[in-house]
Amino acid sequence: MSTEMKFLVVDDFSTMRRIVRGLLKEIGYNNVEEAEDGVEALNMLKNAKFDFVVSDINMPNMTGFELLKAIKDDPNLKHLPVLMVTAEARKEDIVLAAQTGAAGYIVKPFTKATLEEKVQKIMQKLAAAA
Amino acid sequence: MQVEQTFNKLGSSSEPLTVSPEVFQQLGSITRVLHDTMQQLGVMPKLQVATDGLPDARSRLTYIANKTAEAANKVLNSVDQAKAEHAHISSATNEMAKAIMADPVKAVASGAVFNFVKDVEKSTAQIDQHLTDIMMAQDFHDLTGQVVAKVVTLANDLEDSLVKLLVQIVPPEQREKVDPTILQGPVVNAEGRTDVVTNQGEVDDLLASLGF
Repeated sequence: MSTEMKFLVVDDFSTMRRIVRGLLKEIGYNNVEEAEDGVEALNMLKNAKFDFVVSDINMPNMTGFELLKAIKDDPNLKHLPVLMVTAEARKEDIVLAAQTGAAGYIVKPFTKATLEEKVQKIMQKLAAAA
Repeated sequence: MQVEQTFNKLGSSSEPLTVSPEVFQQLGSITRVLHDTMQQLGVMPKLQVATDGLPDARSRLTYIANKTAEAANKVLNSVDQAKAEHAHISSATNEMAKAIMADPVKAVASGAVFNFVKDVEKSTAQIDQHLTDIMMAQDFHDLTGQVVAKVVTLANDLEDSLVKLLVQIVPPEQREKVDPTILQGPVVNAEGRTDVVTNQGEVDDLLASLGF
């Protein structure tokens, strides 16, 4: 699995962005950038090449769901895997995320092992589909 | 207590109220409780030092956000630095092991072993300082905990008052539509609920059941 992949971590809390970034680094992914909401994330995704998006749901300006939908509606971005990492534990949110095209869903608080497992599982699916 | 009297007034009436001056008086009472409590936040002796100069309760909530963010950043910075020191010790140990295996006498005679010991001593002292910094960064919890507890109590009182008021003034045919769970957010207490998951395993099971 390539560790040169470029990640975009989207969360309105800088602490959580930093934690996810740190965990991705420990897993072996050093190329990580951050956005503080969906608007900034979408702008970054349209202006640079990314390989993976890790997004919160509850954010100002543009929520994680809106970002996910915007990514999946954009022909140039829809191939991007989006992993939702959120405190939202309602089943309807999980189902909605899956139906909208999320590649995975992690509820906070989570462990490094959970993040690593989900990221690798998504990578394997992508590799198998390629 | 004013809020208790309001509760009693609301609770004793079985008939729905129309929006009358009395309702506005009750809302006024609730607002007074809110105002008084917010004022109290600024005069509690233990909080006063920390909250000096803060103009109002909203600033105090911002103060909590700032204190927790500051502590989180301090901890993460200390962890980064401690991990760097740890990586340095690990690397130096590997180098020393190689040097000793290659030529133990030379390793000692050249001063490499002594330098290594001093290096480890210095790094462990720095790691210890980072750990102390992490411990000290938790000092926000005492003051912010008190402010949070006060605000939570206030919020609970207000919620009770407003729900009772709402139930009294809502038209009878609309009462069933008043849903007490309408305020959604992160699930703090999932006990007895079937609409939420409580752990990552349940998320995975749910997604698997949907074919994902």
